[in-house]
Amino acid sequence: MPADVALKQSAKVTGTGLRTTSSVRWARRVLWLVMRMAMPVVSVLLLWYLAIWFSGLPAFVIPLPERVLEVLWEERAFIFGHLLATLQVAAIGFLWANVAGIGLAVLFDLLPPTRHMLMPAAITLRNVPYIALISVLMLAFGDSILSKTTIVALAGFFPVLINTMHGLRAADEVQLDRMRILNASWWQTFSRVRLPYALPSIVAAQEITGSGSIIVAIAAEWMISSTGLGYVINHAMQNYRGDKVYAVALLATALSFLIYSFVHALGKRLDWRTAGEQRRG
Amino acid sequence: MAAPISIRNVSRRFGDNWALRPVDLEIAAGEFIALVGPSGCGKTTLLRIVADLQDPSSGEVRIGEDSAAEARRKRLLGLVSQRPAVLPWKRAIDDVRFTQKIAGRVGFDPAKVLAEFGLAGHENKRARELSGGMLQRVNIASAMAHDPSVLLMDEPFAALDEMKREEIGEWFDRELSVRPKTVLFVTHHIDEAVMLADRLLVFSPAPGRVIEVVSVPVPRPRSHAFRQDPRFVAIAAHVRGLLMHQAAA
Repeated sequence: MPADVALKQSAKVTGTGLRTTSSVRWARRVLWLVMRMAMPVVSVLLLWYLAIWFSGLPAFVIPLPERVLEVLWEERAFIFGHLLATLQVAAIGFLWANVAGIGLAVLFDLLPPTRHMLMPAAITLRNVPYIALISVLMLAFGDSILSKTTIVALAGFFPVLINTMHGLRAADEVQLDRMRILNASWWQTFSRVRLPYALPSIVAAQEITGSGSIIVAIAAEWMISSTGLGYVINHAMQNYRGDKVYAVALLATALSFLIYSFVHALGKRLDWRTAGEQRRG
Repeated sequence: MAAPISIRNVSRRFGDNWALRPVDLEIAAGEFIALVGPSGCGKTTLLRIVADLQDPSSGEVRIGEDSAAEARRKRLLGLVSQRPAVLPWKRAIDDVRFTQKIAGRVGFDPAKVLAEFGLAGHENKRARELSGGMLQRVNIASAMAHDPSVLLMDEPFAALDEMKREEIGEWFDRELSVRPKTVLFVTHHIDEAVMLADRLLVFSPAPGRVIEVVSVPVPRPRSHAFRQDPRFVAIAAHVRGLLMHQAAA
């Protein structure tokens, strides 16, 4: 029997129409939420099993999902310690990416000539191959938190800079004329008009940089570090422990997904285009 | 308090192209001047020069004793654009307060004025929750919130339908009798200009120049019945004839 029909029938027993409608709606919402949460997991698992079935690759190349979860549980203490190291690198790098990206965008808005001076350098830095950067940083600072956070910051600052710049320029001309006619200061125009208009773009940049910081931190650790999830992957590869590599990959993906979801939800609350609708809803 | 405006030999060129041929005009305090003419004739350019949002290529604007820049710095000007400048994340009443806060001057009680503007019960609504007419009223209330001496209006009612346009125009005329301002009002709508203005500046097509200053010798505020008045009909026909003659030339 379909869930809706069953719910309607059970509701009839209570005999209160209003309550019936609201409980059916509530049940539908819960069902929809569970479906939304379960579907990605189910589809990933399905693809995973299909890959194992059709590829015929050995277990150390493509292990069973349950084996990966088993490894995660068995080696939780070891992995958790390295996870904290990765989180530290990602968080500090993310912070620096924002300080540099937003800071430069604000500077360009305040003093437009600085844009012509600094933007070419930012574009150049963006286009230098990361492997070369990592090598240079490794030579300069060795296996230190500074070298790894610098890599994360360099990878993240450009999307933040570009999105913030575009966001600050997206302010409505009519609003800017209003501020000019009121002889508003630069700070008043920036904080009351330009920044609110830029917020959706800044949040979009955070969605990219926030989740990407974890990936970049792992890549940096993989190349130069003796700590962090990147190091765990490296170590596991050397020991033909594909299951451990998958365990770390699963953890990192889940973490990136969580960060993305958190930033996305926060962004929706901060976004003036949707904030009112959420409150009404 | 309304202020007189003196426009002396004001022109604007972009390279070799004239956006606005030299204009001379003396506007008395509290006078309502409508700028009418085809698109691209320099009406908005003149308005923006008076607002100190654009520099003239020649001439100067005096607002009372001040230059346009000084008047803007003293927050003597209010601007109403065709697209409402109401901040989308603010409630109507907060938007009016916002003007007062930035200007550092409280012209009037926002709640009271929004009620006078027919917005009682809508003070806490955001822009997207208001109709076009309501939004334009909030826009005007915000532009007047710091009690400017001069109100510069660039096709403020263009986005409204004919009925709403007439209604809000007549309402605005009555509001000005309570809070007198010197008004520069850009419009394409001849009937609206004749209904509201003391004088009409009729512009030629680009490159814009003033071809005639037409007076409307009827005291304001004017009632709806004025639209049937032979003087209204005659003035509107005269202005229409001027514009059609220019377009044909």
